[in-house]
Amino acid sequence: MLSVLVENMGLLCSRNRRYTAADAEENAQTEEIERRIEQETKAEKHIQKLLLLGAGESGKSTIFKQIKLLFQTGFDEAELRSYIPVIHANVYQTIKILYDGSKELAQNEADSTSFVLSNEHKDIGEKLSEIGGRLDYPRLTKELAQEIETLWKDPAIQETCNRGNELQLPDCAHYFMENLHRLSDTNYIPTKEDVLYARVRTTGVVEIQFSPVGEHKKSGEVYRLFDVGGQRNERRKWIHLFEGVTAVIFCAAISEYDQTLFEDEQKNRMMETKELFDWVLKQPCFEKTSFMLFLNKFDIFEKKVLKVPLNVCEWFKDYQPVSTGKQEIEHGYEFVKKKFEELYFQSTAPDRVDRVFKIYRTTALDQKLVKKTFKLVDETLRRRNLFEAGLL
Amino acid sequence: MLSFSTLVDVLFFGLLFKSIINKSLVTCILSLSWSIECGKKRKKMPMFQMQTKLDVNGGGGQVLDLETAVKDGVLGGDVGGLVVYNGVAEKLDLKKMIEELETMEVPSVFICPISLDPMQEPVTLCTGQTYERSNILKWFSLGHFTCPTTMQELWDDSITPNKTLEQLIYSWFSHKYFAMKKKSEDVHGRALDILETLKKVKGQARVQALKELRQLVTTAHSTAKKAVVGNNGVGLISSLLGPFTSHAVGSEAIGILVNLDLDLESKRNLLQPSKISLMVDMINEGTIETKVNCTRLIEKLTNANDFGSENVSSLSLLVGLLRLLKDKRHQNCVLVGLCLLKTICSHESVRKSLVSIRAVPQLVELLPILSNECLELALYVLEVLSAVPEGRLALKDCPHTIPNVVKLLMRVSESCTQFALSILWAVCKLAPDECASLAVDAGLAAKLLLVIQSGCSPVLKQQSAELLKLCSLNYSVTTFISKCKLTRTIQ
Repeated sequence: MLSVLVENMGLLCSRNRRYTAADAEENAQTEEIERRIEQETKAEKHIQKLLLLGAGESGKSTIFKQIKLLFQTGFDEAELRSYIPVIHANVYQTIKILYDGSKELAQNEADSTSFVLSNEHKDIGEKLSEIGGRLDYPRLTKELAQEIETLWKDPAIQETCNRGNELQLPDCAHYFMENLHRLSDTNYIPTKEDVLYARVRTTGVVEIQFSPVGEHKKSGEVYRLFDVGGQRNERRKWIHLFEGVTAVIFCAAISEYDQTLFEDEQKNRMMETKELFDWVLKQPCFEKTSFMLFLNKFDIFEKKVLKVPLNVCEWFKDYQPVSTGKQEIEHGYEFVKKKFEELYFQSTAPDRVDRVFKIYRTTALDQKLVKKTFKLVDETLRRRNLFEAGLL
Repeated sequence: MLSFSTLVDVLFFGLLFKSIINKSLVTCILSLSWSIECGKKRKKMPMFQMQTKLDVNGGGGQVLDLETAVKDGVLGGDVGGLVVYNGVAEKLDLKKMIEELETMEVPSVFICPISLDPMQEPVTLCTGQTYERSNILKWFSLGHFTCPTTMQELWDDSITPNKTLEQLIYSWFSHKYFAMKKKSEDVHGRALDILETLKKVKGQARVQALKELRQLVTTAHSTAKKAVVGNNGVGLISSLLGPFTSHAVGSEAIGILVNLDLDLESKRNLLQPSKISLMVDMINEGTIETKVNCTRLIEKLTNANDFGSENVSSLSLLVGLLRLLKDKRHQNCVLVGLCLLKTICSHESVRKSLVSIRAVPQLVELLPILSNECLELALYVLEVLSAVPEGRLALKDCPHTIPNVVKLLMRVSESCTQFALSILWAVCKLAPDECASLAVDAGLAAKLLLVIQSGCSPVLKQQSAELLKLCSLNYSVTTFISKCKLTRTIQ
């Protein structure tokens, strides 16, 4: 009896061993996978999530490109080339907007003669407007560039340009128009600056991961930066990104206090930014998130504030200019900064007052400035980390 | 002073003096200890006696330490009291030196037992005790004929000038004076060097230079401060502050500036928005020391005139100050924060801003735990806030206002009572029905009666009377008196 048992036991054991052999391999694989998952989750925890938010055309993508240039390998030739169609598209769009604008102003304005082009220019204008209305833009040839330049130099178009705030004229207009010859060259390869000026409406979400190598040269923080589209229809995609964010970089273009939205020509852009900022601040998932407010497009603001008073924007209606020149620019800027500060503290519930909130003056096109500004942002976030870890 | 009884002694003492002149410490100590040993065997040497007389005078200052005295060359090494200074031999005035070295710890044997000041003309009595000539003469002129320290009757009225001690005192002071002058020259030189370095370096080197300069300015004599101020150091350091300055650089720079005397031009320079923004940032995020320094500096800047203080008071600053006040571990933070709040809340816009960031409830809740100094400031601020309608509303809405403020009446000082009264008046005037009962429940009436009966100013008494009347409006006389919880005698 016992021997039978022993024999069978032997059989049983050996059968298990056979199973265990196959199992072992599977187990090993599972273990490997789980280990990897654990590793990655751990690594993810150390990655700080940064969100670039803001209204349309506030400069988010430009900041994104700058970070790419500063802390990653920058743009290689293939990538630079990929921007050529974008730049050419910008050129066509610009001239079309100007031409159509001049026609509209010529019809509606009392002083319409200043917006009327000469006949030959009108022909050029019609042709370019037609090209600009297509979905597919032709390559910018020397001839086309010449025609565009002729049209650009027309006083009526220049006059229309001065009214650019009423049209949806992109901020890169001047820059590209000044550089037409270079852009239309057959062997044209865009420079870094060209790429920074190029305007594409972002749709969806784009991300990069980088590590700012600081003065200390040790492995710095790892950041993952997300760029989003700013227009109203894009904003519903934002909410998916809101969890676990270390810091929100909110871009507000302070030069657009006299402009209206692309998606709604009745709404003032500054008011839109104000409401958007308010909305973002009140989001429940941002309770502990640091807020970095980038008051962007200062270079355009500098020139505009001396010509167009701030109180054309309803939010700034209590502004009183005090002097002229550089002092006035500073005073204007401080006023805008104060308004945003007030907005922040009004929208912040008392339990959130410990949130980090900082305001930076930026010009996204200036690489040095962005680098310096980001260094400060990095310092602040590091300090915040130490503080939260209880080390400060 | 020393008696040469044997040839051996002569030899050893000779060796001693020779080694002193050669400043050879080892030989000197050896010879000294040997001679002390010799001395012990025969009779007590005066030098050795000096060592055993520990702290007879009971004053501060160590007994003259022979080793260091020899090392410093105080015992000999100088020629007849002349100190060679910068190659020029000067006969320094002892009185002047004593004045300048006031803070130094003078050896107790140099101190006159009567005045506890260093002696300039020591004289010895027949008891062997030494005093300052003018002091002991004054003692005698008052009719006493005793030795002040030993209380013995004097058998001999001679006063012997103690030339040795005089020489020693002079030597000691000269040395210390010389050393101090040299050190302060060094400090001056070092400060100038650092300023030069600051013009060139960046990054970590800049932080280090600023750290060292700060060390000099806070510890060394006023020489460092004078050096910095006199060589446009203030302008240089201010120029390092800007929108892109790191906190490391900023905190050191502010640490230096807060210790210096700033003229009007420098203050105006520092009041630029970008520099103030930096300071506000550091108040919000820096270490305790940095926060205190920045707050103090801003207060210094806005204290002089009224200019700029309104512009300085951004919401971020106010929020930062309120955050400072929450720090219970560091009381000096609270004091400094309140000082600045007091200075800037003279502007109406600032008052409104303060109310909007909920300063009123925070201050009210802070009242019970503040020190007396802070209380006066806090009550001042609350009183100022009660002058604006939003402030009054906030005071009324905060449930702890009345109890906390009533407790402070007649507790600390007259001005505190005055502020407290104004606050209570503002609140009760706004909502007499609800506030009056709360106030009376908190014991207001009894306190008001106390004020009226006390030695306070008539204005205060008048205010108290009016407030009392206001509070008693809703009550009948009997209920009111019972609520006052008065003792029978006063009733």
